[in-house]
Amino acid sequence: MKRFIIRKIRDLGLAVARLFASDLVDHRTGKKIGRALLLPWRGKIHVIGLELPVQVTFLPQERLTFWKQEICFTAHPEPDFPHEPRP
Amino acid sequence: MSRVLNVVLAHTSPAEIARLAAWWAHVSPEESLLIVHGGPDAEFPALAVPNKVHVDSARLRTGDHPRDRQSYTEVFAAASAWLKGRDFSHVYFAEFDHLPLVSDLHGRLLAQLEKEKADVLGHHVRRVDGTGLHHYLYHCADPRFHQHWERISRRADKRTVLAMFGTGSFWTRAAFDAVAASAEPFPIYLELYLPTIAHHLGYRVRSLAEDQHLVSNLGDFRSKISDARSAGAWTVHPVKSLEGLRWRGA
Repeated sequence: MKRFIIRKIRDLGLAVARLFASDLVDHRTGKKIGRALLLPWRGKIHVIGLELPVQVTFLPQERLTFWKQEICFTAHPEPDFPHEPRP
Repeated sequence: MSRVLNVVLAHTSPAEIARLAAWWAHVSPEESLLIVHGGPDAEFPALAVPNKVHVDSARLRTGDHPRDRQSYTEVFAAASAWLKGRDFSHVYFAEFDHLPLVSDLHGRLLAQLEKEKADVLGHHVRRVDGTGLHHYLYHCADPRFHQHWERISRRADKRTVLAMFGTGSFWTRAAFDAVAASAEPFPIYLELYLPTIAHHLGYRVRSLAEDQHLVSNLGDFRSKISDARSAGAWTVHPVKSLEGLRWRGA
């Protein structure tokens, strides 16, 4: 019962977070990867509500700016590694 | 000539396992089915199937599977030991609630394996190292996790971590036996461990086409079997009980 209540509270919290969430776009493919609420808190950025496994990187800059950098999200391409037989 | 063994992991009652064996008999003869029983010890003698092994493992009977790091390592080891001296060339591994819907499942899987030039086919195979995947981050808190792959890998990039659904997967015998023979150094959740160990042992792991399977980690698709068949699905997961269900497949 306690677990059920905790789950319901969490679901409610997530539903509220999603109201204020932003669309996130995969930097590599340009496709939407989901919605998440990004909250800076105690020196970290908390990502709430994002379901896909994505990497976080700083975006390369074609024009050097000292005052601003952008953080972006990207998923790995589908695994396509060759068979590597034993030596 | 390819010969596929269906390895089905079940902890359900003997009556339910009898229904399961009858369902799988539409895919291949009963001698090509191995039931790996993870249920109560006392029920094992009552299982009315020709091929069965019992695995009594706390790593199998987890409550919260990702947090308790559920493992199929002992299941694979038991199946691999049973396979010794038998001429099966491939293994289709499935949990009891992952059901075939087509009688030529093996032919389709073999063709897919050949097309992909793969050694392992799994559901939702993804690369997850460096990402926010909860299972991955949970394991990263233990420094031994990446150290292990770096120690055993034959790949140039030793940091690669793969994930897949663990409910059903198709293996060449060589890949299955190699993974079964590898010691799990400390508890690692099976959805990360199985594809990642296969990858670092040099085997090619690819994803099954998801439009050919109705697979989810939640719910019960018992009422959706007919729709799944109409949509062309080869398999379905999860279906928690076969009681009252009839095959009706092609």
